[in-house]
Amino acid sequence: MSDGKEHGSGSVEPGDTSKRVGAEVIRERGVDPEELREKLIDAIGAEFTTYYYYTNLRMHLAGEEDYKEITEDARLEDRAHFELVVPRIYELEGSLPNDIRDFADRASCPDAEVPTPMDDNGGFDTSDLEVEDILEVLLEAERCAIRTWSEICDMTRGADPRTYDMAQRILNEEMDHEAWFIELLSKERDDEINPAGHFARGEPGDAPYSTNNRFNDSA
Amino acid sequence: MTRSSNETWTVTIVVPEDSSLDEAGETYDLEVGADETILTAARSAGVWLPADCQQGWCTTCAARLVDGDVVHPNARRYYDEDDEAGYILPCTAKPRTDTTVVVDQYDDFLEFRAANDRPPGNSKLDS
Repeated sequence: MSDGKEHGSGSVEPGDTSKRVGAEVIRERGVDPEELREKLIDAIGAEFTTYYYYTNLRMHLAGEEDYKEITEDARLEDRAHFELVVPRIYELEGSLPNDIRDFADRASCPDAEVPTPMDDNGGFDTSDLEVEDILEVLLEAERCAIRTWSEICDMTRGADPRTYDMAQRILNEEMDHEAWFIELLSKERDDEINPAGHFARGEPGDAPYSTNNRFNDSA
Repeated sequence: MTRSSNETWTVTIVVPEDSSLDEAGETYDLEVGADETILTAARSAGVWLPADCQQGWCTTCAARLVDGDVVHPNARRYYDEDDEAGYILPCTAKPRTDTTVVVDQYDDFLEFRAANDRPPGNSKLDS
């Protein structure tokens, strides 16, 4: 303790750049920072792959412009989640996999693929592609994200306020997304009115909870 | 023997002594419906087993089948070699007989998947 100030010293020597107090304080509070950062890589692997897969899904909502716009909101917000958490992984001395195939393989949620096979020409066989099937893929992808970020909230609550804050803000938006797709799937598939309490986000991909510092107009 | 979907099976959950779970060393007998997953039944009974995606993809919930039979109709990544080696994913596994499983086998399962060149084995272990 220096000069009687409780937080003036700790287990990391002054000037030591081989350790990070930002990680050690988490360890002191019972969370393994290495395990946490690996879980964060898995989680944003899912956000990133979802961003990619939603591009395909929203394009195949042809003629359903309202569904398309809502999917675009979710797509861009998932990208915002990826962007938000990447720096945290590096703070915890982790890194993104060099090979994007490794990144996709370890994503904590399933690939949100267009629910129809490819045809012989390299495109999708859209003859049997139903809007409700696409909405179901979207819904289940959001549910997986909710489970993932809830798990990270559980892991970090009371121990790592920085990660917890990120995770709970992302969770807020994932729960919004689930409600949107429940509303749309209910109407499309079951002809039921099941409101999400949602109208519009403002600009596409607004990410009202999870965007910190916008580095350009698209994020 | 065929049973209707409203019948239940007894699923015995064994938590290994060396598990990091609070339930380490405990054994639980649960009644699990034919249309219910083992994970859901366990969590409903207050046994909070590890899981993440709950879609048979991430493998966080991996367990070993000691006795009995389960099916994985909705698992997103479950391979024949998993089945042959006696690994199950309780998040999507539904019993078809009375069954005994040893839970919290994630680390071993990653090694197994890596040895069989299946995801997420190598992508996790090489990180």
